[in-house]
Amino acid sequence: MGNQIVINHESEMPYVPISQGDMEWNKTGTWRTQRPFYEDKTPPCNAACPAGNDIVSFILRIVNGDFEGAWNLIGEENPFPGICGRVCFHPCEVKCNRGRFDEPIAIHALERFVADFASHLPGQKVNGTKRGEASKRRKEKVAIIGAGPCGMTCAYHLARRHYDVTVFESLPFAGGVLRTGIPSYRLPREVLDRELSSIESLGVKIRTGVPAGPAMKIEDLRGYGAIFIAPGAHQSRRLQVPGERSRHVLNGLEFLRAINLGEEIDIGARAAVIGGGNTAIDVARSLIRLGKHPTILYRRTREEMPAFEEEIIEAIEEGVEFKFLVSPIHIREEKGVKRVECLRMKLAERDETGRRRPVPLRDSSFFIEAESVIVAAGEEADLSFLPRGIKKRDGIVLTQTGGRTSFEGTFAGGDVAARERTVAHAIGSGKRSAVAIDCYLRGEDPERVLQSLLAGNGPSISVFPFFHPGGTSRNPHVVAFEELNMDYFEKGRREKETKYPFPERIKGFFEVTAGFNERTASEEAGRCFNCGTCNECENCYTFCPDASILKGAKSLSHQVDYDFCKGCGICFTECPRRAISLREEAR
Amino acid sequence: MSEESDLPQRGSKMKRIITGNQAVAYGVMLSHVELISAYPITPQTTIVEELSELCARGRVKAQFLKVESEHSAMAACIGASTGGVRAFTATSSHGLAYMHEMLHWASGARLPIVLVNVNRALGPGWNIWNDQTDSLSQRDTGWIQLYCEKNQEVLDTILQAYRVAESISLPVMVVLDAFVLSHTSEAVDIPSEEKVNGFLPPYSPKYPVDPMKPISYSGITAPEHYLEFRYKIEKAMEGVPAVAREVDQQFKSRFGRGYDLIERYGKDGGEVLLVTSGAVTSTARTVIRNLSEKGWDVGGVKVKMVRPFPSQEIYQALRGAKKVAVIDRNISFGVGGIIAQELRACLYHRENRPPVFGFVAGLGGRDITPDLIEEAIQYTLDHSRPDGDILWLGLKK
Repeated sequence: MGNQIVINHESEMPYVPISQGDMEWNKTGTWRTQRPFYEDKTPPCNAACPAGNDIVSFILRIVNGDFEGAWNLIGEENPFPGICGRVCFHPCEVKCNRGRFDEPIAIHALERFVADFASHLPGQKVNGTKRGEASKRRKEKVAIIGAGPCGMTCAYHLARRHYDVTVFESLPFAGGVLRTGIPSYRLPREVLDRELSSIESLGVKIRTGVPAGPAMKIEDLRGYGAIFIAPGAHQSRRLQVPGERSRHVLNGLEFLRAINLGEEIDIGARAAVIGGGNTAIDVARSLIRLGKHPTILYRRTREEMPAFEEEIIEAIEEGVEFKFLVSPIHIREEKGVKRVECLRMKLAERDETGRRRPVPLRDSSFFIEAESVIVAAGEEADLSFLPRGIKKRDGIVLTQTGGRTSFEGTFAGGDVAARERTVAHAIGSGKRSAVAIDCYLRGEDPERVLQSLLAGNGPSISVFPFFHPGGTSRNPHVVAFEELNMDYFEKGRREKETKYPFPERIKGFFEVTAGFNERTASEEAGRCFNCGTCNECENCYTFCPDASILKGAKSLSHQVDYDFCKGCGICFTECPRRAISLREEAR
Repeated sequence: MSEESDLPQRGSKMKRIITGNQAVAYGVMLSHVELISAYPITPQTTIVEELSELCARGRVKAQFLKVESEHSAMAACIGASTGGVRAFTATSSHGLAYMHEMLHWASGARLPIVLVNVNRALGPGWNIWNDQTDSLSQRDTGWIQLYCEKNQEVLDTILQAYRVAESISLPVMVVLDAFVLSHTSEAVDIPSEEKVNGFLPPYSPKYPVDPMKPISYSGITAPEHYLEFRYKIEKAMEGVPAVAREVDQQFKSRFGRGYDLIERYGKDGGEVLLVTSGAVTSTARTVIRNLSEKGWDVGGVKVKMVRPFPSQEIYQALRGAKKVAVIDRNISFGVGGIIAQELRACLYHRENRPPVFGFVAGLGGRDITPDLIEEAIQYTLDHSRPDGDILWLGLKK
């Protein structure tokens, strides 16, 4: 107890009941049964990002006008913001809590904005990471097969760990499917070149025109402490219909590679494109730009198309024709004109993928005429060059945590080791393998380390704490919409990226979408709820009835004064974004 | 109030024909009140209307706070006054009753708030007319209560009220009659701002809110201290008559008019003294003058201050009277007229105490006519003692 004031005569008292001393001796914190504390949690966007981008943190930098800081932060996780901001299917936005309120944050556009902003920065900065200093160089060498998004991401993070990395690429240039598969109207080549050269500038050696196979057997690579196999999936799946192997029946990836590498390709006026995925759309929109008339044949309906919705809309705008519920059964040829015999389909019950299964209608056969047929019915990995005896199943390499194969010191990742074949998944896979390879070379348990880096429930990981040990990390708990306090948010429209107008845009392969400017990026970033992340809004400070939220001269200290905090939980309730946690007080 | 109703220039005199409620607004304006928080209720409404307009025009530099109830209106005044701001509110009848809890709080916290209550009867039967029961039933809340007879007195009393309240740290209720004063126009001299400024200095609280030296106000007070705080309130109350007299003296020398706490009028001596409070006193003055001219041995006493009840002044005023007749426009059921009851209690310990005839009249706004007043005086002359504690005037029976 503090000094008790003893009063013997009424004249010693004030005339109103006001405090005469202070009550600081009375540490009311002892009344507490629950304890609030600051704890950043995982926003759903971060958990949903296959590449493990720390989205809320870089958005907060944008809000504060620190665009370069945002770029450095993205570089901690992902060397390809300019690419992801353009071509990623942004599952982050699907999970964005703001989608339950009005419209999700345009995360992809913000990421692109940051990368485009950084491209104008002077000097040779590489995502905040400096070229490995000689004194820190490690003696271990790592070989990477494939200079696509997966292999180059792995190379990037290993180079940041100061390993001596060599990438072997079969084609004469790096980039993999980013260069051969994605048309330049979606991904301008200078963006790709810029982000690849950033990785090279960290000291990564890229040896192009060196295909793995008989001439360079993987098992013969000597002097490397670890090998990472990430060749991608470049073989088109076959339709398995008669006539498929005839002239002028191309597969989608071959066609795109030819177009993207500027090769001449002999194709008639009309082309039938078979398939409903992104490759089919890329083929059709490229054909439009070559002045052709593509028709997409798809055996299900538009609802089931695996292609991105925005791509479908743009394809329709540009004049791509679609025929749904149509399945080719035979490709014939008469006088240079192909006749694709098709059956009409209907949708039956759902299959194991959750999509309704197409079944043919009786006596529904009909013909579609075209000069060329391009098959884009999915991709497969070529596993023929892999070391004999490496374990595979159903066309992919079997791997354990971090991409470990059945071969000592050999890891695999990207399309060759997974069914989910997107750029973001490839980046995530390369990142996990970089950590696993580092652990392997240092004799640490990759399982334990990767587990500690999980963003949300995984498999995405955040490597920031891996590169900056000792910092605070996020609680993997993913913040749900119901955990936010909507009293503090106003509805607001999502900013839209501008599109190059139709029909001018089909006159070439220049980029269709223009990015945000500083104003639109700041507006859009300002819409972010910052789920699970303190943004110094000071609601806790304002509402605390016991003045127990401590604040520095300018900003919150993220400290609770436990001498006086009674554990009422008002800070926890009034935090708009669940950056404060509450746990039972252990006494 | 129109644009032309601005205050007179220095040195000039200005009389206006205004209602009692307008007189309230002028009084508040001249007092440089900084917070006005009120909820409208007939017959107080035009006070709030006038003041909100004056605030909107910037003529009154006060925060005008709209609230959802009289309870909140007084709570806002309490907060503002604690913070060192001169606060004002006005109400009537049910509104005052609704404020009851906060009235206790204001006096317990020793806050110099001024409240104007326009006397109105309480329902049911629903009634908007004049009756003092609303304010008199708040007589135990620790507020100083001052009853006005005319519109000039209303304006002047507000100016005096802030002086008294702030020098003794107790709240003051200024009371005027519904419609008889509130909505009736009389000639009122409106003093200049400079003249008032010299009389009423700015309010400075004794325990101001200082964020650098935080203290807690009105916290829990244990039995070992509570009694002493009540003692101090009572001591302050007992000091009010002396302070109020002094303030009235200063007012008189500055403005040339004043109001005794208890006013004795008419001839000296007197077989019967008639006691009234509020606007009915004006009628009583005429009746007394007429009867005196006819040779009746009667005089009059006006009670302006009801809380604290100035027993010394009352006793002085009643000295020599053989009988006292009180007309109460109020009733405490089971006892009778409240002023009569106060008088009896006040006289009990005195020697040669006259009998008190307690008349109850004019409840719910019924007119108290000269005839009715004469009837009361006649009855008092005719009886050596009253037939009971309550004598009803004008009762239909």
